[in-house]
Amino acid sequence: MSKASVFYDKFERHSHGEGLKGHATHYCPGCGHGLAHKYLAEAIDELGIQDRTVAISPVGCSVFLYYYFDVGNSQAAHGRAPVVALGHKFANPESVVISYQGDGDLASIGLAETIATAQLGAPITVIFINNAIYGMTGGQMAPTTLMGQSSSTSPAGRNEYNGQPMKMAEIIAGLDGPVYVERVALFDAKQRIKAKKAIQKAIKLQVEGRGYSFIEVLAECPTHLKMDPEATAKWVKECMEPVYPLGVKKDITVEPWFKRNPPCFKGEKLLSLAGATSEHSDRFCKGFPTHLDAQDISLKLAGSGGDGAQTAAMLIARAAISEGFDATHIPSYGPESRGGTSYADVHVAKDEVLNPGSPDPQVLIAFNTPSLVKFGPTVRKGGFVIYDSSVVTEAPVLDPSIKVFPVPFTGIATDLGKAVVKNIVALGALQAATGIFPKDTLLTAIRVALKDKCALIPLNEEAFAWGIKSVEALDK
Amino acid sequence: MALKERPKPFLLPEYCKGCGRCLDACAKDCITLSDQINPLTGLVPVELDLANCNACGLCMDACPEPYGLRPAHEGEIQDFELEDPAKLFGVKPSDAPEPIDLPSEVLPLPRTEPLVIKGTYASALGALLAGCRHVYGYPITPSTEGAELMAKFLPKLDGTFIQAVSEVATVNMMYGTAGAGLPTMTFTSSPGFSLMLEGVSYMIGAELPGVFVDVMRGGPGLGNIAPEQSDIKLACHGLGHGNTHAITLAPATPQEMLDLTMLAFELSFKYRNPVILLGDGYLGQMTGKVQLPETMIKPGIPKWAVYGDAMHRRNVITSIFLTETDLEAHNVHLNAKYEAMKVEARSESFLCDDAEVILIACNTPARTAKGAVQDLRNQGVKAGLFRPITLWPFPVEELKKAIHGAQRIVVVEASAGQLEDEVRLALSKAGVRQFPEIESVRRMGGILPQQSEIMTRVLGQKEVLA
Ligand SMILES: Cc1ncc(C[n+]2csc(CCOP(=O)(O)OP(=O)(O)O)c2C)c(N)n1
Ligand code: SF4
Ligand code: SF4
Ligand code: SF4
Repeated sequence: MSKASVFYDKFERHSHGEGLKGHATHYCPGCGHGLAHKYLAEAIDELGIQDRTVAISPVGCSVFLYYYFDVGNSQAAHGRAPVVALGHKFANPESVVISYQGDGDLASIGLAETIATAQLGAPITVIFINNAIYGMTGGQMAPTTLMGQSSSTSPAGRNEYNGQPMKMAEIIAGLDGPVYVERVALFDAKQRIKAKKAIQKAIKLQVEGRGYSFIEVLAECPTHLKMDPEATAKWVKECMEPVYPLGVKKDITVEPWFKRNPPCFKGEKLLSLAGATSEHSDRFCKGFPTHLDAQDISLKLAGSGGDGAQTAAMLIARAAISEGFDATHIPSYGPESRGGTSYADVHVAKDEVLNPGSPDPQVLIAFNTPSLVKFGPTVRKGGFVIYDSSVVTEAPVLDPSIKVFPVPFTGIATDLGKAVVKNIVALGALQAATGIFPKDTLLTAIRVALKDKCALIPLNEEAFAWGIKSVEALDK
Repeated sequence: MALKERPKPFLLPEYCKGCGRCLDACAKDCITLSDQINPLTGLVPVELDLANCNACGLCMDACPEPYGLRPAHEGEIQDFELEDPAKLFGVKPSDAPEPIDLPSEVLPLPRTEPLVIKGTYASALGALLAGCRHVYGYPITPSTEGAELMAKFLPKLDGTFIQAVSEVATVNMMYGTAGAGLPTMTFTSSPGFSLMLEGVSYMIGAELPGVFVDVMRGGPGLGNIAPEQSDIKLACHGLGHGNTHAITLAPATPQEMLDLTMLAFELSFKYRNPVILLGDGYLGQMTGKVQLPETMIKPGIPKWAVYGDAMHRRNVITSIFLTETDLEAHNVHLNAKYEAMKVEARSESFLCDDAEVILIACNTPARTAKGAVQDLRNQGVKAGLFRPITLWPFPVEELKKAIHGAQRIVVVEASAGQLEDEVRLALSKAGVRQFPEIESVRRMGGILPQQSEIMTRVLGQKEVLA
């Protein structure tokens, strides 16, 4: 085999000793990484994808993968190579992305990333070097270390307390995401030929856009298995292979599916998604409602989840902004957000809302008794309290300067046939009680909010009118 | 290739590590271990006797050294004259073209009426307008709505939203996309941001852009989901291991959530460095008026990217500098970059010119403080607000101007003093020794400082909860 052109002419890893070592890998004599590199380089060459390839270097002995491969290179944190690969793949779906990882990297620290990426199934290729040990850090136990095998962190041999060897090819093959999973080895000529073919096939599947593939390579680490290279190869064959049986674990035929259009940068499209419009809605206010406050009106709307307090609050904010004022709305859901008390702080300001919270509002709209009891006393002197008299039977005593408006929100809404419009009744009541905006300002906000559900507009208009009427009835 | 055309192997002893894999491969016993140690390598190479060789090639397949056993093509022996490698191999190891910048485009956007949207949505729109089409995320309250909006919009824009398996995976997907030279971002909240810091350190080391919108919530630990300014220290001084810094922006309104997110993308590409947008839980949820800009960005591909095409084949994204001197040089380079970022310091001063009391606050507490300043002025107290918009670099020159002549400084924050520490550090580094004693209004656990508390502290009526 001629050397693959994807290999650099010299390895800059050794720039300091370039003349002597410029062509030698940094791997130990007999290390399986060298062979796996060679087969990977040959595959890239034979598939003619050198210019499209991005190789992800892991952390481990092969951290310097990028010194060998004349392709786009990206170096990832320990265990994170497959998700870095995904990031590259989605950025350029035309690229061919190869994540190359050791067993500590892939089966231990990066296990979550490994499984999640495999299950995602996007076409990337993972080459997994299983040498049953941590190489780079000096021969510690790996998830793949065999039972009884000694390592620097299992000096008496791996036992039950350290768990069982992790069979990654089988685990990955058990997932629905991958299309092709094979375990190969390097210990004899027959296995090497298979290894080379498997790597090539895995990458080809990616080139064709068919899906995720995973090649586990049983590899030799003579240094930390503490044997000479020949004995190591023999050990892999005799001790590793029985635990990690070779062969294809999964190979399904799927049609090419990974086709993606280039991202869209059309302004109009973005604006329409955002719901932005150039249409100027009508303005009805003659000026800021200074009879409530010269600069900044503070409101609080409180009820249980489902009362529509948040929607009503949002409608007030929208109405104010379409009139050219500034407004803010802050929702607050307790831990009981799924059904308990929920309240909204709303501000309407002439120019700029300075402080958006409403700890002492001028206006409180309360949809139930606890809300009224809790927030009634916080209302400013001379303020307004509007509450649902259908559910609040006995109002607490408030400061005499506060104007109180009991309005049967629920009763009216139920009579209209839809209890959910009680918040619109409340808005009508707010309008009549405080004159915060002209009727049309709030009605427009309601109509705009319902523009996709036009059929509901008449009902809401009626609810709003009933809110006004019941306040006027109180006045008499 | 017919069998007889196959070349026989060639070996240069200097590249042979003597592992013996080839010995086993040869059925013809052409290869033996030498009994001489190679004085250049200290290893024992093999010897070839090719009398019986049938050029099967199995030995070359077995050799783990790419340049160990090679086919003996004509003339190739000269390749291995070792005296002058630069002359032999040329300066560049790759024949890939020299990468160039594909510039981004600024596209016009029709003028529209203001939107009424919440802070996280505003930030998401800002990212889309900045050209970001690759968003990764992992749900965490109160940032999640940003991710939800992206999940809804991006497929319609042929972009990518992936819900990662964790924040660790999220930041590393960002690392990949950023490595390819494209804008990418995430939404997260304090516990999630903590988990991302490993990746942030890698991105800074590898000089990759990316925008992190951190909607801060209460801690430590799981804390709660209510607003707190709990990550100021983390963003300004704790971005993972090593010598790390990133421009940190602190918006105070939904409008700024949009504007500063767009700015974050611009700065992150300008400096090839992550940018952090620190919002608070209140701001993420707060709905307000948001005016869209008049232009949007279509990103190009920078020349340093590993895009996965011929033009960028030569590039490497990495944060490894194995020799001590190389790593020191890299850090010196990063420090120079951090120094250059100082021009990005931004702040807002509100009624500071004649102020006797200066309030210092950022994010939502800054708005409360602004309300307090207005009320204090109404009561005849000369108060002003200094609001840092960048927390790192801290706008210390502007701060110096703002506190000039002030008799009191009150730091208002939703944390146990993280902002105050930034103020003190900035003043100390700037050599400012004389300044009024710093007073504070601090709330935690999701309770924001109230305007009444600020008033009370300034007017000196009663102690404020610390
Ligand atoms: C977060 C983190 N934890 C630990 C390490 C230290 N570390 C570097 S390499 C390595 C083991 C690599 O082993 P493996 O993935 O099996 O690859 P090999 O060296 O055997 O090829 C470890 C634990 C690290 N770099 N980062
Ligand atoms: S330590 Fe093991 S895995 Fe690492 S280079 Fe040496 S032999 Fe290979
Ligand atoms: S080419 Fe075949 S026969 Fe010749 S030395 Fe190599 S393994 Fe032996
Ligand atoms: S396989 Fe290669 S490195 Fe190993 S002994 Fe043979 S020639 Fe030398």
